[in-house]
Amino acid sequence: MIEVADLHRWFGSVHAVRGVGFSIPDGQAVGLLGPNGAGKTTTLRMLTGILRPQQGSISVAGVDALRHPVQSQRQFGYLPESAPSYPEMAVRSFLRYRAGVLGVPVRRRRNRVLAVLAECQLTDVSRRRIGQLSKGYRQRVALAAALLHDPKVLILDEPTNGLDPTQIREARSLIGDLAQNRTVLVSSHILPEIERTCQRVIIIGAGRVLADGTPEELCRNIGSGGCIAEVRGHLAAIEFAIKQALPECTLETAPLEEGWWHCTIRPGPDAPSSLEAVGIALGTAKCPIRLLRPETIGLEDVFVRVLDEAARSPGGDA
Amino acid sequence: MSSIFILAKRELSSLFRTPVGWIVLALFLFLTGTVFVFGALAPGHPATLRPIFGTMTLMLVLVAPAISMRLFSEEFRTGTYELLASSPVTSAQIVLGKYLGALAFLIVMLLPTLIHAGVLFLVSEPNPDPGPIAAGYLSLFLFGCLCLALGTLASTLTDSQTLAFLGTMLTLICWVLITNIAPQHFEPEIGSKLAAASYSIRIDDFARGTIDTRHVVFFLSISAGLLAFATTALESRRWR
Repeated sequence: MIEVADLHRWFGSVHAVRGVGFSIPDGQAVGLLGPNGAGKTTTLRMLTGILRPQQGSISVAGVDALRHPVQSQRQFGYLPESAPSYPEMAVRSFLRYRAGVLGVPVRRRRNRVLAVLAECQLTDVSRRRIGQLSKGYRQRVALAAALLHDPKVLILDEPTNGLDPTQIREARSLIGDLAQNRTVLVSSHILPEIERTCQRVIIIGAGRVLADGTPEELCRNIGSGGCIAEVRGHLAAIEFAIKQALPECTLETAPLEEGWWHCTIRPGPDAPSSLEAVGIALGTAKCPIRLLRPETIGLEDVFVRVLDEAARSPGGDA
Repeated sequence: MSSIFILAKRELSSLFRTPVGWIVLALFLFLTGTVFVFGALAPGHPATLRPIFGTMTLMLVLVAPAISMRLFSEEFRTGTYELLASSPVTSAQIVLGKYLGALAFLIVMLLPTLIHAGVLFLVSEPNPDPGPIAAGYLSLFLFGCLCLALGTLASTLTDSQTLAFLGTMLTLICWVLITNIAPQHFEPEIGSKLAAASYSIRIDDFARGTIDTRHVVFFLSISAGLLAFATTALESRRWR
């Protein structure tokens, strides 16, 4: 549904997007994750035709977006980061206007406006001026405007930016509903938002794709084989036993009560699972174990580690 | 075509939704009305709208930039330009739609002044010559087309409405200075070329009741050229 290959964009001497590429199949909800300034918005602006890439290719629903920008723009609905609208217009007038610009046929316009008003729960405020509405409602108006032509693809840039926790929950639920029957690309730096609404995550840093996969895949890849143990004994003996069993591992320890230690053990890059080896090593060293479990990795850990690794890698500045 | 009409309609209605449109309209009608009462209706004066046309032309130098300054600058400033730029419309359609909206406002502004012509026909004996009146309105419309096209271009170049306003107004003033006053200080060959680019000389011709197609082509072709530049300026934003 969306094919992006080798996108490059410079702003003067700043190389903001450096070879970004991904492919999103029909019906998938994908989160574009990255810190501020990573190149998410620039990538989305190129996808939507607001900016032209200096190199690379973009295809939306089979339409070459660079050769046929207008046809490509008919395929998606776009919610920009600031959810812009005209404050002096009434909600319904604004939606009617946007329906016209988006090419909705005259005979379908009224029904489509009513449908998106209902879908985005705006019917009650449809006659009010947009400037009088709260930020949450204005966000919904902008989202409703993106849905008017019933697009197959929905591109949302920071859809919960500036909303309060209740509004974030409402927006997330709305996006979740919309993602049921559409291809959705959501950009955000708020991890729980992506984790709850998207089946797949693309992490961008310093203008590059650093990781791409389902949250489970990414967690598995990053957190391969780590484990958590709570052990009693002398710290030196515990460290010696673990290092004997897993010489390449990194070990983090923190004291608990009555001589117990909380240990986080992460084996080296190619080492097998650490769980069994740690259990045997500590048992042999006669260190009592009250807890031993695989380390659970969340998307936040993946995000931080991917960016750390990118920053450490040669030429990395994520 | 329908997208252009929709954009034009929104632009026109937005001018009536904000105080700027109403203030401009009220000031324009008040000043033209005053000039009509004290200039054209005064006893012993010839039955002509020429003083009004002179005033309206001068006022367009101020009013047209005020109408056009917000066309794009406001969209850039508030971020609504992203909505337009990501919509299935070309840059040329966006420019044309907004320009036609502003032009429609200009027509709405000129229409009430037809009352002055009607009053003049009612109270004057003999009746005024309709030729110069028709030519005068045509010149106002054509000059309005040019001013608004220049304003549209200025508005595509900056996020600041003030800069767009000043840029358009100063260009129109400098245009008159360069093409009307400067030629007297140059060699006749250069002077005549500069004078040929004058809009005010052509407006004077219209005021005398002469409708010269060369003048019509002058105003329309320069307006079209300025709109083409505006489209290029807008398109270049996608590369910046």
